[in-house]
Parts: sequence; C-alpha cells; structure tokens
Amino acid sequence: MTPPAYARPENLDEALLFLKNHGADTCPLAGGTDVMVDLRSGKLETPYLLDISRLPDLQGIALSEEGLSVGAGTTISEIYASPLVAEHAPSLIKSCAFFGSPQIRNVATMGGNVGNASPSADTVPPLLVHGAKAILASESGKRTVAVEDLFVGPYRSGIRPHELLLRFILEPAGRRLSDFQKIGRRKSLAISRMSMAVLADREKDGSFASIRLALGSGTPTPMRMGRVASFLAGKHPDPQTLEAGARLMAAEMIRVTGIRPSTIYKEKAVQGLFLRMLGSLLESDAV
Amino acid sequence: MKTYSVLPIQFTLNGEKTRLEVGARESALYVIRERLSLKGTKEGCGMGECGACTIVVDGKNVNACLMAAPQLDGRVVITVEGLSSEESLHPLQEAFLDRHGVQCGFCTPGLLMSAQALIQGNPRPTHQQVVESISGNLCRCTGYQQIVGAIEDGTKKTGGEV
Repeated sequence: MTPPAYARPENLDEALLFLKNHGADTCPLAGGTDVMVDLRSGKLETPYLLDISRLPDLQGIALSEEGLSVGAGTTISEIYASPLVAEHAPSLIKSCAFFGSPQIRNVATMGGNVGNASPSADTVPPLLVHGAKAILASESGKRTVAVEDLFVGPYRSGIRPHELLLRFILEPAGRRLSDFQKIGRRKSLAISRMSMAVLADREKDGSFASIRLALGSGTPTPMRMGRVASFLAGKHPDPQTLEAGARLMAAEMIRVTGIRPSTIYKEKAVQGLFLRMLGSLLESDAV
Repeated sequence: MKTYSVLPIQFTLNGEKTRLEVGARESALYVIRERLSLKGTKEGCGMGECGACTIVVDGKNVNACLMAAPQLDGRVVITVEGLSSEESLHPLQEAFLDRHGVQCGFCTPGLLMSAQALIQGNPRPTHQQVVESISGNLCRCTGYQQIVGAIEDGTKKTGGEV
C-alpha cells in the first residue's frame, strides 16, 4: 500500500477545491482519534489525508437567532469548557464529560464524531434531541441536513465525498430538561454500550408538554425514539408511566434491531438507563 | 494546493527547535521515538487506550500515537525528557520516587505528562482534578493511590511554578 499524501489547506476555499478534485480519494484528518487507528490497522487506505485541524472556519461556538452554533472542528474539551453549551445544551456537555479520556477529548472533534458515523458516537443522542442540523459545504455551495439523516448505517455517513462538515446548529434547551446518560464498561475510555438523551418540557401541572428521546449504541444508527415520545407526551412522569415508557423504549429498540445475542442485556440496560435518566423528575414530584 | 508525500516540519521539542521531514502516515510517536530517539515516550496499545505515549502539545496532554507527525508542525512539544534538567529531577518526578508511584515504570512517562499538562493549566489542582487528569492513563501495577498522592505532593513542591 502506498502511504497517503498529506495536504494542509490554508483556508476553506482551498479545502473545498481540493475535495472537488480529489474528494473520492480523500480522508479528512482532524483529531486523528479514529483516522490514525484505522490507518494503522489497515482498515483505512486513502490516497490523500486532508488536514482540516487548523481551519478557522470550522472553529468556534456562538449563539445567534438560528440557534447554538458549534463548529465541526471544535474539540470535545472546548465544548465541555463552553459556558454557552452548558447553558443551552446541558446534555451535550454531559456527553463530553464522559467522552474517551482527557487526551482524546483534547483533540477529538464533534465533526469527527458525527462524520465517522459510529452507532455509539457519544455526542449524537444530545444532537438528535436538540434537533441539530449539520451545515455542509462544498465548492458548489452549502446544504443543511438533519444530523440523524447523516447516519446512513454503522460507520456509513451521508456526507458526500466532496463535502466538508462546517458546523452544527442546535435548538437551545431554554427551560426544558436536557440530559444525557451512558453505560460504559468503565468510566473513562469506554465505548458506550448504551447511551440516551432527553429534551423535555413540562406543563405547570407536571405533565410532559413535549418530549424528545434519542438512543445511541442500541440500534445500527443513533436514532430518535418518536413512538416513546408520543406515548409520554401529555402524561405525568409517575412510576407507572415511566415504567411503561422504559418497556416501550426497549421494545422500540428490538423492533429496529431484531432479537440479537446482546438483546438479553440491552433490553434491561435500555430500561434501566431510561429510568435513571427520568427518575429525577419522579423524585422532584414526590417532594 | 500542494500535497506532500514527505513534509518538512519545524517544531519546538523540549525547548529546542527541531526540523525534519515526515510522512503523512507516520505518527508523532514514531517520529519522537524512532526518528529522534527519545525513548521515554512509550508505545503501549497504539490506539489511544492506554496513555503510555502521552506528550504535551501546546499545553495539552495528547496521545502521540493518534497524532499524525505533520500535525506537530509549529507546535510546542514536551516529552518526559523535557521535565528534568541536567542537575535535578522535576518535583513531579521526585514525588513519584518518594511516594513509590513507580513499579514497572512503563506508564510513568505518560502519567508525568498528564500531570505536567494539568499543572501548566492549573497550578493548584484539587484531589478530584488530579484523579480526572490521569483518567486516560492506565497503570496495571500500583492501583493509582501512590500516583495520585505523588502528583498532589509534586504540585505542592512546584508551588505553582511550572
């Protein structure tokens, strides 16, 4: 195998022109936490590595009328340290807190986490419940896509070869509950066995005015759990309702994946995680 | 845009300007160990799981095995060799000795680098911050207690100086 050639664009235009000409033969390189592992194992063979880690256009976190904008090149550490993200997308902060290890968080980017299209990408369930849109750029212009639509299959992304992920736009949580939960084999450096995010608003009487749920690692691509959300909408988070919601969450997962050897574990895990995530609502009701 | 099969890079390594030509597929770890013969930085898993290859780049601890060598260009890099001077060990290293924070020693350089990055950004870390700072470094000998104690002692000895 010929080693890849290296290219480092000075600006976005240069990067997009390169992708226009060589997109199908190019792998973008940001933090390297997936690319370097796959190069080493031989899983990835690519004629070109396009080092986008220094492109200013992919950096930065800002709040505007369109929502909370997070650059695709923003590192997990930068997101974790951002007061804007802490205020407007607490579930995303939480997913960054338990992401990989300090060394990984210092270089890994949110664009890489989404672009690699792993079913267990930690930042994705929070992005899904926050209705995140991805802004993709190519030489011929920009397009906006819902983040969930970029997940075509396990490790198969809907990003086209000549496109680059620019940034993500999240709906701010406002006064809604925004939370993330994860089960790993241990606290640091563990690939999620199961992850889950919620964005929920409640009426004055405590019932769910609206609720969004997303599941990671349980299905071939991270996905919104629309049926569970519909079931919960308008109901009070009492023990019976949450138990039923947890069972429905597991049933939805199994509907997508079918029965697998891991189902016996994951069915219980998804229910436990759901109850852990929404249990705080229950407790606050009891007070 | 020019593409390179071999890229000339320049970076500061342990205080000294370093120039060499690197391939895109070479990792920073390979360049540091095999090309520059600084063997203090260890290769454990080679996939970002163990932290044995931790180095400090622009003040942050990173896994050298996951960094492409061309990405070193223009950076300020510290490896474990950059901690001590000719005359004496760094207070962190002294503390590792005093506290028996070393058994087989393979993980030690990486742990020292994570500790160094911690105190560069935060000279007086709390116990919890110390524990968190080394959560990406595996040690299979000590059980971590001596290491955490050593880093806490070391930060006190540096007295906020790095």
